[in-house]
Amino acid sequence: MKITVPHMGNVYIAVKILFDGLGIDYVIPPLNNKEALYLGSKYSPDEICLPFKLMIGNYIAGIKNGADTILLVGSCGPCRFGEYPELQHKILEHLKYNVEFIVIDAVKSIGLRELFNRIRIVGSESRKTLPGKINSVIRAYNAMCILDDIESQAHFKAGYEKERGECKKILNFCKEEVLSCDNPDKALKLLKDYQDRIRNVAVDYSKKPVKVAIIGEIYSVIEPFTNLFIEDILMDMAVSTRRNLTPSWWLKDMLLKIIRLNSRELLKASDEFLPLCIGGHARECVGEAVLASREGFDGAIQIFPMGCMPEIVSKAILPTISREKKLPVLSLIVDEMTGEAGYMTRIEAFIDLLERRREHVFAWN
Amino acid sequence: MRVGIPKGLLYCKYHPFFETFFRGLGAEIVNSEDTSKNILNMGVKVCVDEACLPVKIYHGHAASIKDRCDLLVVPRIMQVHRNEYICPKFCGLPEMIVHSIPGMPPVTSAPLYMHSKKSLFQWCVSSGSAITRSRSRIRHAFELALKAQNSHKTGIMDQKDITVMLAGHPYIVYDAFLNMDIVNKLKAKGIGILTEEFAPCAASESQVKKLLKKPFWTFQRNLFGASAALYEQKKIHGIIYLSSFACGIDSVVIDLIRFHTGDFPMLVIKFDEHTGEAGVDTRLEAFTDMLERRVLNEDNRPTYGQCLYSRQNPV
Ligand code: SF4
Ligand code: SF4
Repeated sequence: MKITVPHMGNVYIAVKILFDGLGIDYVIPPLNNKEALYLGSKYSPDEICLPFKLMIGNYIAGIKNGADTILLVGSCGPCRFGEYPELQHKILEHLKYNVEFIVIDAVKSIGLRELFNRIRIVGSESRKTLPGKINSVIRAYNAMCILDDIESQAHFKAGYEKERGECKKILNFCKEEVLSCDNPDKALKLLKDYQDRIRNVAVDYSKKPVKVAIIGEIYSVIEPFTNLFIEDILMDMAVSTRRNLTPSWWLKDMLLKIIRLNSRELLKASDEFLPLCIGGHARECVGEAVLASREGFDGAIQIFPMGCMPEIVSKAILPTISREKKLPVLSLIVDEMTGEAGYMTRIEAFIDLLERRREHVFAWN
Repeated sequence: MRVGIPKGLLYCKYHPFFETFFRGLGAEIVNSEDTSKNILNMGVKVCVDEACLPVKIYHGHAASIKDRCDLLVVPRIMQVHRNEYICPKFCGLPEMIVHSIPGMPPVTSAPLYMHSKKSLFQWCVSSGSAITRSRSRIRHAFELALKAQNSHKTGIMDQKDITVMLAGHPYIVYDAFLNMDIVNKLKAKGIGILTEEFAPCAASESQVKKLLKKPFWTFQRNLFGASAALYEQKKIHGIIYLSSFACGIDSVVIDLIRFHTGDFPMLVIKFDEHTGEAGVDTRLEAFTDMLERRVLNEDNRPTYGQCLYSRQNPV
């Protein structure tokens, strides 16, 4: 069995650490690129959302590199994500690729027994002892958390750093080095070192950078290829960004959901505007906008794939939040046709507006 | 008390319930008119651009009566069957309406789980509280409403020499303005129509069971199950699937059906506010002509070994 997983941001690094630790054979498909998008759009239904298409592209690349099993996490909110495996399986079958799907689904829809069963299929590939396996899983989870922390610090400090571009440099080096390291323990150690480095970046808190919250659909905010590397662009513009949705947040959220202790603050913030979970992460999106205004952010950028159902609902709500909480919001809708030029102009214009608006407010004070 | 009930989305399925209930409480019911150009324009103006056509039309209906009522019923239908959802846009419908249309009267926003009597009653209590506080009156109106709803049946069954399944969400199939009166156009051509309601239950259940995963959208289960069942039982000669652009659910369901039925004739018509009637007519004409040739002359076999209206022709 040779496992491949679709991409989503930096998850592949944690996956690598996990499988290296377990000693399971795996293929990491090349990072999302034009090729994946092209293949994905060619074989997927026209109107399906972007993540679906990219994932198909990842699978095909993975299969070409010898993978025969696809590992995927599922969910069963009222959103399309839960239906992905069904259709993706059919598409790959139609293309005459012989692959197995293992979907780690929510307990609610497949039952605890089946869940353990599926995990066991993956686990049985590993020759490690049980404690060894558990250890590998915990290590990978830690790696994910650290990586997310490094990333979010880098994004936030980019506005405050004394030497322009340092955060970005550290972040990029970090990813590169960790990826080229095949020993999971060493990789974790590396990550910890980088965490220290980013923590000790020289910053100047007297600066007043524009602060922007990145909100929206989880895949398109996490996966830089879909949002045309918006966070990198903003780092270059010395804008501080914050994004709550990260892979490690998602994992915690999934686990805590069982006992309903997930993201309390966020959900409470959304109560005023969207009191119910409607699928996807619309509620989180709304909650984050409210929190962002409460915490003195200058604006928020909402990103979602064309046709994303939950985010369309939040897009309808955001103008009210924007008005009542005085938080400018820019909605960016991405699909395979998104052109770089127009996109950049919109981001620049928005950041410009935030800067000018602030001067305006200061002038009035 | 005037209670407004917009004639959009699942109104066509559930209007007896809502109307009987509020009438039972002594309210005056204000309906919007049938969908029209006017309603559509109003909806397009206020609704988020990216939404699907039915939701935009619903916005139009709501906007058209908002000034004539004291309470607007915007059902937040979460589930129709246990553990199945409808669509995220239904779950967030009251929010979409309230935040998109300025100057709204109070709106019902309690969630509705149509499969559970208890939840339905709770909805009635919370929505009826604006009119009366008497539990017994609410209980009485509720019972009446349930009875009215149970005797309400929808669906078209009209089998002829050539019969197509008219698939699609109820608010597209039964909204003559939205679908450009397809039902009557087909009737005029002498084509028979079957809708999902008349697919044999057991057969469609067993088709659904063949899926890898239990579907979690009611639309998906109904439509996939019904089309697959009717197709397997050879009760239909083709499928006409009416859909809306930007419908997330159909983007999955249509392809599931296509994968299942292979070369079987299937015409997918997607609507949005720019769809022209002439184009729809032409495609309908071509499709029915093809069906006629195929059924009457060619013993139900495609002329060129493959059907032009199946997988090769996605639109
Ligand atoms: S949340 Fe949006 S992008 Fe994600 S599966 Fe649902 S519709 Fe698609
Ligand atoms: S099911 Fe499709 S057509 Fe209906 S409201 Fe949802 S997205 Fe729109």
